[in-house]
Amino acid sequence: MQAFDYKYQQLEPVKSFKRVPGPEMYVPGHRTCAGCGPALNYRLVAKAAGKDTIFIGPTGCMYVANASYLCTPYAVSWIHAQITNAGAVASGIEAAFKVAMRKGRHAGPFPNIIVMAGDGGSVDIGLQAMSGMMYRNHKVLFICYDNESYANTGIQTSPMTPYGANTTFTPPGKEIPEGKTLFPKNAPQLVIGGHPAVKYVATTTIAHPLDLMNKVRKALSQPGPTFLHMLCPCPKGWKFDEKMTREMARLAVETGMWSLYEWENGTYNYTNVPKKYKPVNEYMQHQGRFAHLKPEHIAKMQAFVDEKIKAVQRPIPVAAAVPGKQ
Amino acid sequence: MAKELPGYGTIDVPKDRVVPFGAVTPAPVCVQNMFQTSNWRIVRPVKDDEKCTRCLICYLSCPDACWVYKEEEDVMEWVNNFCKGCQICIQECPSGALTAAPELDFPDGVVRLDKPF
Amino acid sequence: MAKAKMLTGCRASAEGAKAAEVEVICSFPIRPYTAIMMELAKMVANGELNAEFIHGEGEHAQLSVVLGACAAGARAFTGSSGVGVTYAMEIYSPMAGGRYPAQMAIADRTLDPPGDFGSEHTDAMCTRDNGWLLGWACSPQEVYDNTLIAYRVGEDHRVMLPQMVCQDGYFISHIPDKVVLGEQSQVKEFLPPYRPISPLSLTHPVSHGPQIRPDQGAPMDAQRAQTFLAVPKVIEEATADFGRIFGRNYDPFVEQYKLADAEIAFFIMGAHANTARAAVDRLRKQGVKVGMARLRWVRPWPTHQLAAALGHVKAIGVVETSTSYGGAMRGGNLIHELRASLYDLDDRPLVTSFMGGLGGETIWPADFDHMAKVLTQAVKEKKVRNYVQWLGM
Repeated sequence: MQAFDYKYQQLEPVKSFKRVPGPEMYVPGHRTCAGCGPALNYRLVAKAAGKDTIFIGPTGCMYVANASYLCTPYAVSWIHAQITNAGAVASGIEAAFKVAMRKGRHAGPFPNIIVMAGDGGSVDIGLQAMSGMMYRNHKVLFICYDNESYANTGIQTSPMTPYGANTTFTPPGKEIPEGKTLFPKNAPQLVIGGHPAVKYVATTTIAHPLDLMNKVRKALSQPGPTFLHMLCPCPKGWKFDEKMTREMARLAVETGMWSLYEWENGTYNYTNVPKKYKPVNEYMQHQGRFAHLKPEHIAKMQAFVDEKIKAVQRPIPVAAAVPGKQ
Repeated sequence: MAKELPGYGTIDVPKDRVVPFGAVTPAPVCVQNMFQTSNWRIVRPVKDDEKCTRCLICYLSCPDACWVYKEEEDVMEWVNNFCKGCQICIQECPSGALTAAPELDFPDGVVRLDKPF
Repeated sequence: MAKAKMLTGCRASAEGAKAAEVEVICSFPIRPYTAIMMELAKMVANGELNAEFIHGEGEHAQLSVVLGACAAGARAFTGSSGVGVTYAMEIYSPMAGGRYPAQMAIADRTLDPPGDFGSEHTDAMCTRDNGWLLGWACSPQEVYDNTLIAYRVGEDHRVMLPQMVCQDGYFISHIPDKVVLGEQSQVKEFLPPYRPISPLSLTHPVSHGPQIRPDQGAPMDAQRAQTFLAVPKVIEEATADFGRIFGRNYDPFVEQYKLADAEIAFFIMGAHANTARAAVDRLRKQGVKVGMARLRWVRPWPTHQLAAALGHVKAIGVVETSTSYGGAMRGGNLIHELRASLYDLDDRPLVTSFMGGLGGETIWPADFDHMAKVLTQAVKEKKVRNYVQWLGM
């Protein structure tokens, strides 16, 4: 096939808060809860991506609470996808723009095509479509905004819900005192481990706005598929005071529950690594979803996190072993 | 020839119930005024300009884009219509320039909307 | 006029898609429709067709890819068979409701269990109430022609709906028959480029598919229903235009074969109509006044056209090639709608049905003789004994 210049966008890094792009592309006027982590995330992502962007929004909080009653907060083009098929819808859009440019119907630039999927829409029911898109090398940024549950349906467990969490599908009880007994998937590793076309994967949180925006811009400047895993605390689902949304994300990093890293062409680069990790309970104690846990459960979580943070020192992180199962 | 059979009639959607073709709507510009959320909050952030350092953390912390930096006047401006009162900005402000004040302490009170969502 | 070639239904479908200059194609293998995608893959690889050929990871993805492509302004094409058609079930309604006029080529195949490669219309019939245009061809030539006609109708701004162009697996998809391909100038005259109404765009940003309130739900449904009131006229126009430009004339909705003076008639769609036509000729020689009505579009269902075509007949045998377990007549799907279409006539024909061609079975000429006998007896007795009977059982 002859080479064709699709005029992919190259986005320069944002150097400081003062240089953050001004225009809001995810505008105020939406039904997300007060203090919503995913909403803040959406706003920062959209700002970083700019006006030449198309969002694909599979069902989840960022569909249901945003695109309400025929009015939406997306200042750029946006399309709803089913919770199942965001990766495939994005693939079709990308392909359509490629043909349109080859045939001269669209002059450019090539749009930033971004899937904004929740944890369910990316690594649970949406996994097949996401994987297909990445395997086929579509130029799409797939974002997993991880609020660690199926939140818009009333906080049901997802594969990203942490061990020990009380959700409406994992209520603690006499027989199952810890609530959720399973440990979560490792979302970035699912992508890195099995998708040779993906050259850039990164994790970030809403408490690190410059880091977040620059990872978005770097991902969008790649010629192929990319993946960002973004921690977006959910006051309602995690049961913490809504003003603590950013604080939760910060504590997740400080305790090792979450690590910030970039994976680029096979190389890992960790940032914001604490000199000394705080005990995991400093993160858990603020969250009502963990309130029922006994010391032995917290110890189990600590062991999980200890194993996980070993990866930060290793050249290649691996999925943390599940304590008590080996 | 067969007798005249019933037809399908017509479907006349009342004007006030018409929905856009294929549920495609134009994108909002700057704000989505159809969805104001000021009546959600029970407290609002109050700013002390003396203490404010214009560090922009509130601007980058607000899910609802309710803090805007006005460059000409060099002040942070609060957006009344959309603030849900989550207080993230108050929690995050490093200089203690923001405090929470009960909504009912203000002459404009809670801004009620014509119809609730 | 171009010379006829011997092409299978699958090849004819691919040639139709190529003539329509489809821009985004999404494939996934399942027999028997697979050959359509094999042909298109070659055309893209050879540079005969400037399109993106995407290997979907399943039928659900196939539909999702063409939905996205259509939303972004591309003419999109996909297809499937059997359980592949039903695997994609979630996406049919969003495609029609969002008014994405992509096309899906179906080579019918029976549903599991257990695996059976044979043709049966149940697969596509399962999708019939979601707002797609749903048509059946009975020859490779008609597959090619319907591909172009369906795009023309579906992309018309009075319509904007996705289309399913169905053909019987194997009987049509894999048996070569004479096909005259159109000249590109004819195709250009007949089928204008796809003009999306509000595509995903960088210059005119739009939101596709935001949530609605319950009180907005009925108007959304009404919108699709209203469109279906307008579709028949568009189909008539397109079919007439097709005849004028390509020289092949179809009755837009119902092929009427020796119906004018018929006392009994077969009501049928798809491949087995070819056998039915031959049976009609043979039975006529024996003095049986029989005719055939072949349905070309299931959606929109041509209620009035059927009443006009069949109202004078004394007894009708519906040849069902799909199942409707537990349905009103305990047989297939077509009899329900045909009976409903004739209900308001003063002098209603008797209507019974025959389950045939299921699981890929052939409906033999002798079966039509049998059906004619049952219908003749019904005329004599002025009643049908049963709503349904299974051929060969």
